[in-house]
Amino acid sequence: MRQGATGFTAAAGTQRAPGRVGTLLLAPLVAWALLFVVAPAAIMLVYSFLERGTLGGVLWERATLENYAGVGNPVYLRIVLRSILYAGITTALCLAAGYPVAYLIGRANLRYRNLLLMAVMIPFWTSFLIRTYAWVTILKSQGFLNSSLLALGLIDQPFEMLYTPGAVIVGLVYTFLPFMILPIFTSVEKLDGALIEAALDLGAGPLRAFSRVIVPLTSPGISAGVLLVFVPALGIYAVNDILGGGRVDMIGNIIENQIKGNARNWPFGAALGTALLFSFAVAYYYVNRRQRVAEGRA
Amino acid sequence: MSWITRLFAGWTGLVLLFFYLPIAILILFSFNESRLNIQWTGFTLDWYVKLWRDHVLMRAVKNSLIVATCATVVSVVLGTAGAWLLHRYRYRAAGLLETLVFLPMIVPEVILGVSLLILFVQIGLQLGYTTIVISHVTFCFPFVMAAVQARLAGLDPSLEEAALDLGATPLQAFFKVLVPYLMPAIVSGALMAFTLSLDDLIVTYFTASARTATLPLVIFGKVKKGLDPSLNAISTVLIGVTVLALFVTEALRKRNS
Amino acid sequence: MRRFEWMRWMAVAAFAALAACGGEEKPAAPAEGAASPAEPPAGGELNLFAWSEYLPQGVIDEFTAESGIVVNYEQYASNEEMLAKLTSGAVAYDLVQPSEYTVEAMVKEGLLLPLDKTKLLNLKNIGQEYYGRAHDPELTYSVPYMQGTVGIVANTEKIKQPVTSYAEVFQAKHEGRIVVLDDSREVVGWALASLGLDANDVTPENLEKAKPVLAKWLPLVKVYDSDSPKTALLNGDVDLGVVWSGEGAILINEGGGKFSYTLPSDGAHMFIDSLAIPKGAQNLAAAHQFIDYLLRPEVSVKISADFPYTNPNVEARKLLSEAERANAASYPPGSPKLTTFKDLGAAAADVDKLFTDMKAQSGS
Repeated sequence: MRQGATGFTAAAGTQRAPGRVGTLLLAPLVAWALLFVVAPAAIMLVYSFLERGTLGGVLWERATLENYAGVGNPVYLRIVLRSILYAGITTALCLAAGYPVAYLIGRANLRYRNLLLMAVMIPFWTSFLIRTYAWVTILKSQGFLNSSLLALGLIDQPFEMLYTPGAVIVGLVYTFLPFMILPIFTSVEKLDGALIEAALDLGAGPLRAFSRVIVPLTSPGISAGVLLVFVPALGIYAVNDILGGGRVDMIGNIIENQIKGNARNWPFGAALGTALLFSFAVAYYYVNRRQRVAEGRA
Repeated sequence: MSWITRLFAGWTGLVLLFFYLPIAILILFSFNESRLNIQWTGFTLDWYVKLWRDHVLMRAVKNSLIVATCATVVSVVLGTAGAWLLHRYRYRAAGLLETLVFLPMIVPEVILGVSLLILFVQIGLQLGYTTIVISHVTFCFPFVMAAVQARLAGLDPSLEEAALDLGATPLQAFFKVLVPYLMPAIVSGALMAFTLSLDDLIVTYFTASARTATLPLVIFGKVKKGLDPSLNAISTVLIGVTVLALFVTEALRKRNS
Repeated sequence: MRRFEWMRWMAVAAFAALAACGGEEKPAAPAEGAASPAEPPAGGELNLFAWSEYLPQGVIDEFTAESGIVVNYEQYASNEEMLAKLTSGAVAYDLVQPSEYTVEAMVKEGLLLPLDKTKLLNLKNIGQEYYGRAHDPELTYSVPYMQGTVGIVANTEKIKQPVTSYAEVFQAKHEGRIVVLDDSREVVGWALASLGLDANDVTPENLEKAKPVLAKWLPLVKVYDSDSPKTALLNGDVDLGVVWSGEGAILINEGGGKFSYTLPSDGAHMFIDSLAIPKGAQNLAAAHQFIDYLLRPEVSVKISADFPYTNPNVEARKLLSEAERANAASYPPGSPKLTTFKDLGAAAADVDKLFTDMKAQSGS
């Protein structure tokens, strides 16, 4: 029998039971998850039930639910809804803008593909702060964009772009586009050209081949991309702070304020974080479960 | 399909323009005479000179590179192994484990940073390279794992069977068939991990020490005074080195093939 | 596979090159090229935890060159960040740089060590007006580092009439042309001051009174920025601001002469940032040595040159240039009405909530 520890002979859609070797190999991952994921999350959870200390931090005297009561306050709910709106718009724009790019890179031949990937990633090896401030330079009333538009005669007064919700969206899309492109790229890359040809042979026009065959086949990449953009976008606070002039407060800003700002209310920040985390953990678990069922892994 | 491909190529060009516009501006301003990144006043190389002499900034660059490299390597190992194990074996807690692994991507950075700080203090781990790398890996390796998982989902088992039929040992089959197949996903995951680590600010703030301060920390410190162009200069240098490395690699590859 | 091999070698080479020029922390390698002894550090290490961009690196390097003490300079951008990391116990800091209300809170919690004044011979350089302040009357725990105010900056080319009070700033005609600090205590404090109330008197009744004031003011604000409010003013995106005096001073110096700085007649916040030694400090000798070093007039002027706040060191003030002393933001003329902040305890959260609420209601 040529089945060793790597258990290579299983066919697609079926998996083996772990056995001792399988469990042992997974141990490092489990240990990591327990130590550096569960433990900090547990700390956050515990803190959310405590009272704030005078200098920040927490008091260990008694447990309370008042922090969660605070989460439901309309002041913060409004901001939560706004965060969801901005994150949603950003995700949609990233998907629309990023899919064609990911598709092109995925279908390109090897040499161009790697060059294009690097081309996409290189801007993000500069500091995030500097990039965002570069956008300030571009969007401000005496900035690059306005100067160019004025010079081209397309407008006669500087257009107010900076410190608006639009600027925030531009900044967010800019920050998260690679997070959408890369997962979709990996999906596109493994597309079998034969399938596409078959679709075309059977009479589908390119557009139909695209929407009926290609897009559904790349859905794991799309889901991954959506998750990787939407969720972090909810927690962001620096981009909207800088490009929105501090007027577009999102959940991330509120939480930051509790811990790093004047409020010195860690338990409340922890409660907000836990609420955020919990909703998404639940949503992710169910989406993931459906995905695994579809792939035959559940 | 060619008109769609051409359309997409044009669109990609526009997207790349979008990506590089701020980069072009920041490179341009690294040669600007004025300290404030506001108006062009004249050409100078002073900021590059200042950069060279700024030992704090250069040490930060070194720290960032060390941390990013280590974090990427660990992330690739953990992420690939995790993805493959979850694909190969049917663990009962698979769903739970996957959710846990992706949790750090959901937790707001401030909270992750503070929690990890508290954790490190509790287990008596001193702040330094180790703590930074651990924190980075925690939110980086899920990306590698996700990328590799997506790719594994389309793995054709007949590939592996063919290798084994041709007399390869399972280990050989793993490294000579599976890993090359996974390479695009590993590379894309590794790229993502490296980028995330290089650029992280908040979590690093809470888990770094003064001597291991990374570039984003040092840059953030300078925001108050106004980001002076030596910071643009360092970004330009980093980009320059990368692009140069790319060109050299390409040239060498062409010569070899 | 060969391509990846080459990339790896490239990476290693680039990395090694950067590591080489990055340089180790030789205690004697200051950028200005001062005399540098090449001996190993003699006086140990100093864990300094201070505001970002508030201490010139050159001053630190010169201290190291002279004393042999290696300074590990960690930075923070808010008092709360400092407290977070300090109280976690992760690092034993020898010196911190809290604002006045944080000093008050830390003293109350027993987080600061009393200073050994026999080691601070230069303490006599601090002006008398810094004694008798509520947070530390005898300067037992803290030594003033820099003082400042929060006042009104105006672009006199665009704003023709003088703006001297909060009400004059927040007029409808200035809509969309104002930058303010993104700080709940500041903004709410201004609202209270404009009503004739004490900025520290944040009872629920007073906060209720401040609410309509904020509701009127905040929709007029274009930018909230505590880090670098001068940027928006220099960019011309806004013409009016209520900002830190240090920012005002830089605007006066670098703004082409068109910016003015005035303290609001209703009352302005005066802040005092001080140096203090936290409980748990390991190298008390080095901490005292560093404080004493910074109190030297010739060192203090170097700090003022980079960060034009109000220098509490009277001997240093004598060494300032004419232009520096004339800067209205650094050294406001007259005897303005100034208030320092007191520690608010739990009420700080209420102030923050009010500010967040009013900001959200006025924004987009």
